[in-house]
Amino acid sequence: MASSVLGQALPRIDGPLKVSGSAEYTTDRIFENMVYAVPIGSTIANGRIAALDASQARAMPGVIEVFHRGNVGELYKASPKAGMIDETRPPLADDVIRYYGQYVALVVAETFEQATAAASCVKVTYAGVDAPNVALELSADDEPNEVDRRGDPAAAYEASPVKVDQTYVTPAETHNPIELHATVATYDGEQFTLYETTQSVFNHRNVMSEILGVPRENVRVIVKFLGSGFGGKLWPWPHDALAAAAARELRRPVKLVVTRKQMFETVGHRPRTQQRVRLSADRDGTLTSLRHESINDAGMLDEYDENCGEATPYLYGTPNLLVTSAQTRRNIGPPTAMRGPGAVPGLFATESAYDELALALDMDPVQLRLRNEPTRDQGLDIPFSSRHYVECLTLGSEKFGWSERSRAVGSMRKDGVILGWGVSGCSWLAARFDAEARVELLADGSARVAMGTQDIGTGTYTVLAQLVAEATGIPHERVVVELGDSRLPPGPTSGGSMVTASVIPAVLGAAREAMKSAIELATSGPQAPFAGRDAGDLRFAGGRIVARRGGKGVPFDAALRKASVSRVSGSGKGQRTFGQEHPKYSIHSYGAQFVEVAWQPEIARLRVNRVVTVIDAGRMINPRLARNQVEGSVVMGVGMALFEETRYDPRSGAPVNSNLADYVVATHADAPHIDVTFLDYPDTELNELGARGVGEIGLAGIASAIAAAVYHATGVRVRTLPIEIEKLLSA
Amino acid sequence: MSSQAFVSEAVAPTAPANAQPPATAPKVVEVVFTVNGNRLALVVDPRATLLDTLRETLGLTGTKKGCDHGQCGACTVHVNGRRVNSCLSFAAMHDGDEVTTIEGLGTPENLHPMQAAFVEHDGYQCGYCTPGQIMSAAALLSEPCGPSNADVAESMSGNICRCGAYQNIVAAIQSVRTQG
Amino acid sequence: MNAFAFTRADSVAGALRAAGGDAKFVAGGTTLVDLMKLGVENPTTVIDISRMPLAGVSRMPDNGLQIGALARNADVAHHPDVVNGYPVLSQALLAGASAQLRNMATTGGNLLQRTRCVAFRDTAMACNKRSPGSGCAAIGGFNRNLAILGTSDRCIASHPSDQNVALTALEATVQISGPKGERSVPIGDFYLLPGDTPERETVLEPGELVTSVTVPPPAPGAKSAYLKLRDRASYEFALASAAVVAIVRGGTIERVRIAMGGIGTKPWRNLEAEAALHGKPATAEQFAKAAQIVLSDAKPQSQNGFKVELAKRCLIAALTTVTQGA
Repeated sequence: MASSVLGQALPRIDGPLKVSGSAEYTTDRIFENMVYAVPIGSTIANGRIAALDASQARAMPGVIEVFHRGNVGELYKASPKAGMIDETRPPLADDVIRYYGQYVALVVAETFEQATAAASCVKVTYAGVDAPNVALELSADDEPNEVDRRGDPAAAYEASPVKVDQTYVTPAETHNPIELHATVATYDGEQFTLYETTQSVFNHRNVMSEILGVPRENVRVIVKFLGSGFGGKLWPWPHDALAAAAARELRRPVKLVVTRKQMFETVGHRPRTQQRVRLSADRDGTLTSLRHESINDAGMLDEYDENCGEATPYLYGTPNLLVTSAQTRRNIGPPTAMRGPGAVPGLFATESAYDELALALDMDPVQLRLRNEPTRDQGLDIPFSSRHYVECLTLGSEKFGWSERSRAVGSMRKDGVILGWGVSGCSWLAARFDAEARVELLADGSARVAMGTQDIGTGTYTVLAQLVAEATGIPHERVVVELGDSRLPPGPTSGGSMVTASVIPAVLGAAREAMKSAIELATSGPQAPFAGRDAGDLRFAGGRIVARRGGKGVPFDAALRKASVSRVSGSGKGQRTFGQEHPKYSIHSYGAQFVEVAWQPEIARLRVNRVVTVIDAGRMINPRLARNQVEGSVVMGVGMALFEETRYDPRSGAPVNSNLADYVVATHADAPHIDVTFLDYPDTELNELGARGVGEIGLAGIASAIAAAVYHATGVRVRTLPIEIEKLLSA
Repeated sequence: MSSQAFVSEAVAPTAPANAQPPATAPKVVEVVFTVNGNRLALVVDPRATLLDTLRETLGLTGTKKGCDHGQCGACTVHVNGRRVNSCLSFAAMHDGDEVTTIEGLGTPENLHPMQAAFVEHDGYQCGYCTPGQIMSAAALLSEPCGPSNADVAESMSGNICRCGAYQNIVAAIQSVRTQG
Repeated sequence: MNAFAFTRADSVAGALRAAGGDAKFVAGGTTLVDLMKLGVENPTTVIDISRMPLAGVSRMPDNGLQIGALARNADVAHHPDVVNGYPVLSQALLAGASAQLRNMATTGGNLLQRTRCVAFRDTAMACNKRSPGSGCAAIGGFNRNLAILGTSDRCIASHPSDQNVALTALEATVQISGPKGERSVPIGDFYLLPGDTPERETVLEPGELVTSVTVPPPAPGAKSAYLKLRDRASYEFALASAAVVAIVRGGTIERVRIAMGGIGTKPWRNLEAEAALHGKPATAEQFAKAAQIVLSDAKPQSQNGFKVELAKRCLIAALTTVTQGA
């Protein structure tokens, strides 16, 4: 394969659509006869609906219907086999309220203004209202689940000279993609077409078909552009079912846009975690034991395991280890995966603990990590496929200037400002989902690739074009990419940073099959350019069919036209490795995060100045897009470290800062200077190109590196995120 | 409680036949304004925001709704040449105004230099906040703004990019500023 | 949002005629439209006054400045007379909101900006300001960003504006037109403490309209600055802010005006602290004493005790900036 287009920093092929407002997002759909739906959320978190009076709302201009439990029609619970959903109870299924904002009714009107006005006039009365449980302190409701164990960590801990025993807390965080969750649902009496904000058109189709009680074939899910999701849009939420049910009852297209406030209530969040980490080491820094015990909160009905110990068993070597996870119930909407679930909060805890251990050892924190580099995955007892964590740390140190670090707290100053330097390691899984693709080579010289995955902003459109261009030699500008539709061949969920790794075998396989068909076409029939030749003597290169022995050959499209054929096509398939029982290799990405913060105690101002990040995530298909992913993760990490927390009112259970003025995320002015380096070692155990994925790893380790830098600047060790001003005033 | 009982208890008794509409029927208001160079005369619900009118009535869906409360900047358009949050004004307030949306700035085939710079510098990921970022950036070109990256970042802080493409957005804007 | 009638007024007289009942004036829209969407404001008539000829910024005979009620925040912030004569006002305006909002928001609207208290902004929560007698969900609830000065047991909502903090330090005067004629109110008398009637925030009577704000001529040798502290670097309301206008000669403070934001139920001025600085050397020690005076009556809530210390640092830093090199 001549490497031309892979590894090139090409601009996105969908860029001109995005910058001109022409990219069509879910809520941009407008249909004839469309109506507007506005859901009403409960204003209690624990109780039941006593009565719902919609008479006033029904009488208002433009109001078509007020749906509630009595008239919404049948909505079923999806079976686990259907796919993933984090809130399994269908909306309006009973009168019990288990969290604030749980939907109690849906108003549909001719216009958005009419529907919102009517929604405020539906009177809901509640009974049996009890104080909600939204307590911040977490204690496991059930026996913790043992994730991993080796050796005797308790005994090793007791016997070791240097110890750390600390508890770390990460708060509930809300994803807050700028695109609001939304559905535009249409129903023609048989067929549902659901325009959704989803990171997984196929999961969405499969789950919705069970919720609606119709065959999968009767549900089509479309998302051409997604205004990101960060995990919040992985699986269906109650509004999806409500919109579809309203379309079913009314036989009119229904547009339902979740409000920003409702996005804090009903479409998931990263759960609060409380993690006890116990480390012990010999005086030379050798890790003698590691225990990582985490608890996260979950909704009242569904299980949710954040799995904070995701990266714990393999990141460092130690003979004695225990990883557990546990849950506790809260009157809060069900949590869901948020960018880097498990590992991101987990690494905040464990990497912070390493920083504390380094301090206790009076050892450089980079050196401590290098000291405990394992030669194989000690959790699974298998070799690593491709691990370059040491190089991440050493190269990062070099680029950052780590050797200039003066270790004493508050000892580094520049322009009258105290600097703090911190480091953290990070890691994220690499695996593949099932994926199928169809590639067509067309008689006009272009190609088309179709796959039912979606581009959530990571660059999937562009990567698919690059893969086809790479395989066929057709310029990537001439590759049309079709995705975001459940009628296309099943593609992967945009989750777990796995899309790129997953699509490679499917797309390359489909392209090869299509090229093979083109070659066969070029040899068959008397008019064919290579009539009578053995197909084995020919190859497809640079968009042409050429003889292996040499010669210019013919453009493939000429061969197609000659045969009066509009296209040749091929199908390809890749199989999942995610969740494999007995993997041969431990396949993960690694990275090192180096952070400089600036601290001005006289005005209690903390800012993140610069971040150097070195990432070992296999081969980069498109470094321009990959770099953006990591930079964006760093920015989100600044928010996670310093600002973000969804706060619940202890009396009402309401998420009280449910807007973008009170739930503070990083702005332009908060973005540090970010220097991203990719090591670019292909990991061919995962796929033939050796690409892993970069959507999440950049967020892992940022909060711990910032917390370490804050300690270095201020002497205050913050173990409960976010690192708000008030926690630093004693410094 | 059965589904049937729920209906009778909760809904039936509270819907008397002679129910009066609670509020006066929405009055309408005429507004004549120019959108992307086209003079338009509309009759709008006074409650309709400029944002919803552009999107739902005029089909100019390039302008996005991200928070509906002036807290994200996704709805940024130009009114009489200045950037504003279209979610925080009623369409009725724009009688006689000249409104420019992302669609009026440039097309995929004929991009405005700022749009082209966003493509070149990868000044986005998901693209949802992008029209707002670009409308803000285009307006910034004729505003008092210092030369540094920090000046641009401060001036652009009313546009949240949750994907975090800030570094690239600032690079895109600076490239246009230095070329211009 | 409830249905309402929409009218336009292009003169003050027309606006006053149209006013009455629960009608509301709208200019920039950044407060009213926001609160109408939340169901916090429910006027049945909205009067668009944005086209009244009150957008000018002009020098007055005494060399002071008159800022029209409809002058946009961005225009005021960048107006040469403001930049040169009243840097504290320019800085305060530019520290507020975002470039887009500053293009919309007007001087008069900003003067009447409502609190950002989440209880006030959510009709499902108890709020004496929004619904007198309903209680206060912020006391014992989410109050990290709320007031520690000027509170009552009915209301702890903080005043959110930056502009008004600067105008308070500049001793501005609010010009008002109403059914009974025109009147002028010094900004220090314009805002009311919540007390038992937190729903009343200013002395403005129903049907009255702010037409302009005037600021006295800059005192010779005066320097001024605005310092705003918040969690993130931009586009956020103040946790604490300080506007300082001072004349320092030979290291001695001749005259100083201090107003603080983010910590009070109104733009917070403390005459005692100013008096304590007059005639004193411009030193950190004196600044700390003044800060101590301003915060001595602070009544922290469950989440905002840190504001006492933060506000002190804010004021000391602002005083240091303004008096440096003098």
